[in-house]
Formats: sequence, structure tokens, C-alpha cells
Amino acid sequence: MSAGILKAQGLCKSYKDKEVLHNLDLTIEPGKIYGLIGRNGAGKTTLLGILTAQNTKNSGDVTYNGQPVWENQRALNDICFSRELQPTLFSGPNNLKVRHYLKSAAIYYPNWDQAYASRLLEEFKLEKKKKISQLSKGQMSMVTILIALASRAPITILDEPAAGLDVVMRERFYQLLLEDFAQTGRTFIVSTHIIEEAASVFERVIILDEGRIIENTDTEELVGQFRYVSGRDDVVDQVCNGLRILSTHQMGRHKTVAVRGDMVKLETAQAADVDIAPMNLQNVFVSLCGHGDAQ
Amino acid sequence: MRGTLNDQSLIYLQIARMLEDDILREVYREEEQVPSTNELARNYNINPATAAKGINLLVSDGILYKRRGIGMFVSKGAGDTVKEKRKAAFYDGFVKPLVKEGASLALTGEELVDMITKAMEEEKK
Repeated sequence: MSAGILKAQGLCKSYKDKEVLHNLDLTIEPGKIYGLIGRNGAGKTTLLGILTAQNTKNSGDVTYNGQPVWENQRALNDICFSRELQPTLFSGPNNLKVRHYLKSAAIYYPNWDQAYASRLLEEFKLEKKKKISQLSKGQMSMVTILIALASRAPITILDEPAAGLDVVMRERFYQLLLEDFAQTGRTFIVSTHIIEEAASVFERVIILDEGRIIENTDTEELVGQFRYVSGRDDVVDQVCNGLRILSTHQMGRHKTVAVRGDMVKLETAQAADVDIAPMNLQNVFVSLCGHGDAQ
Repeated sequence: MRGTLNDQSLIYLQIARMLEDDILREVYREEEQVPSTNELARNYNINPATAAKGINLLVSDGILYKRRGIGMFVSKGAGDTVKEKRKAAFYDGFVKPLVKEGASLALTGEELVDMITKAMEEEKK
């Protein structure tokens, strides 16, 4: 079971006359855990749906091992997209039961691991006979996690698996993910809004901002490019000359700026009379995608 | 291994530092095996690639070496290598800022040395 390369090129998607993905390129390499982060409405779920041929596109290509994924059973056999479950289905309550989801997953995914699924079902204390509409938000997430992990698909995509989970379960989820990854080395794409606690799990992070991919980078390499620089405003300005300034906060003469720069420039900044503090992935995300909404 | 990760520096650097600390404390002695990438990943809930990056840093510093098919081991004289590395970092990270801060307070070199000598005497008591 070895995964291939999943690739999107020139992807455009509109809902009515609103374009949500703009000429987007993305390459997913095998054997890595990717984090997909973006603000509400950035287009994350739309992108994941199109990558897995569950949603249509207006233009562009999605290929797996060079072959289009659309209506391509061989490609889709290798890809699992575990969507967020909803308490409603069509116009009524979602009366499907947990066991219906498990049964269809077992039929659909050729690598389905029933023993693993049963183990997780027990660990998560999920009742097979319960209707989806009777589950809590966290329990719905557990069902999607269970299906994703037990699918054993070479490319496994989880959309907001952490939503509604308590902090203990979230930690357990990342443990399970890493355990499985250590065993199988399959590719994971995980979207989340709870960025910081997932940062150490992601080898690469994809940042989707307003329908465009603005980063697809090694997580630590990305985080290492950012700093907060603070001190007297004129000294800060001098130090940050030539660095990309993402945000500025001024308080009297004291100024703090969020900067991005290469290592060499950051090192010369370190020699001046300013304070330099590192960022974490969450800070980086706010700096890049905040667009002035965050204060 | 002990300690927990923080977000004050990159994770692979923290992994490298924790392994160095454990070598200095003789948690891992010369020619002994250190935890594997996957063990580190599991223990700290981090991506194995990140753990590998930390280990590789110590390999390029000559602190760890690889035995093919077995795992990573502590090099001969690794403790001294770590100390030398830390001394260089101490100079850059503590002595230089100390001198800089002294200069901004208009301390003379003599005053600075006197202060260090005094602090060392207090430490002995």
C-alpha cells in the first residue's frame, strides 16, 4: 500500500457567481502529515471535496498518480475523505445510525480494517445503534475519526476532526494519528481551527486564505521565519528595514512589529537594542490571515 | 527523556537540547542507545520527521551516531562535545548580552569583572 502524488492544478470553483477557489495549485506528497488551516469560509472543505472528487470544479485538474480522480475508481480506492457529520440530512433529522456509516465505509474502502474499527468503537464508547442526530458534536467527530483511521486509505483526509472533542480526546486523537502514521506511513491531511496543539503533529502546513494557498511549507521552517520585534520605534524601524512587516502595534514610543525574514537578516536584528521573540504557528497564522480583524 | 515542550523555540531544537541534557546527566551514557524517532514522536506527540530533525542535528554535531539497522547511539566523548557546544552558546547567549547591557549602563570593564567576581564568591557560600 503505497500512496501516490495527489495534485491540483489551476483549480477554480464558484458557487453561483461567487468564486471561492482562485486558480489554486497544490501538491500532496506521499508519507507526510499535512495540516490544512484557514479561516472560516476560506474554502477548506470545498478544496478537500474537490480533491476527493466529492465536489465539482469549474476548471482545473485534480490528479492522483497522474490520472484524473473524477469518476476514477482506482484513484478513489486509495483516498478517504471523512467528512464532518451533520445532525440533519436533506430536510430532516439524520436518522442513519452509527452502524450504517460503519457498514458503508466497510464496503466502500478496500483496505478497511474491521478489527481496528471495533477497537476504536470500544475505546470511543460509541453505540452502533445510536442515530447520528442523537450524537453530540464530539461523538460525531469520533465517528469520522474512526472511519478515517480504519479506512487505512493511503491518502486519508479528515475535516475538522477536533471539532467538539474535549481536550483529553483531542490529545488522544493526535496520539492515535501518530501511532498509525508510525505504522503505515500513509498520507494524512487534517484541517483544524485548533492550531497550536496540532502544530507539532504536522510535518507540513498548508495555509488557505480567501481561496488561495499562501503556504505549503515545512511547519518548523515556516514558524522559524517569523519573529516579534519590539523596542523604541526608531530602532525597531531601522532593524526591520528590508524585512516583511505583517503587523504593527504602537504604544507611545514603544513599537512591536510582526516580521518575516530570512535567517541572516533576523540575526543582524538580534544584535540591535530590541527584544526579539519567537512566534508559534497560531501567531504566524494570525499574522498572515488576520487582515486586520484581530487586534 | 524528561521535560515538556514549550513554544519558545522550534521543536526539533528542543528535542536536541533535551537529548543533550540527558547525555550530560548520564541518562544516556557513551555507546548507549537513545530513543528512536518513533519513540520520541510518540512520547512527545510530535511528527516523526521533526524528531528525526532533532536527532540529525546531534549527528552532525558528532554527539550521536548511527548504527545501521539498530538505531542511534551516544558517541565517545559526547558529554565533552555537548559542554563545548554549550560554552560557545553561553558566550553568544549570555556573555555578549552581559557586556552589551553593561555598556548601556556605562559600566567600565573593571566594574563588570568586579561584579562577576563578586557573584562567583556569593555562589560559593
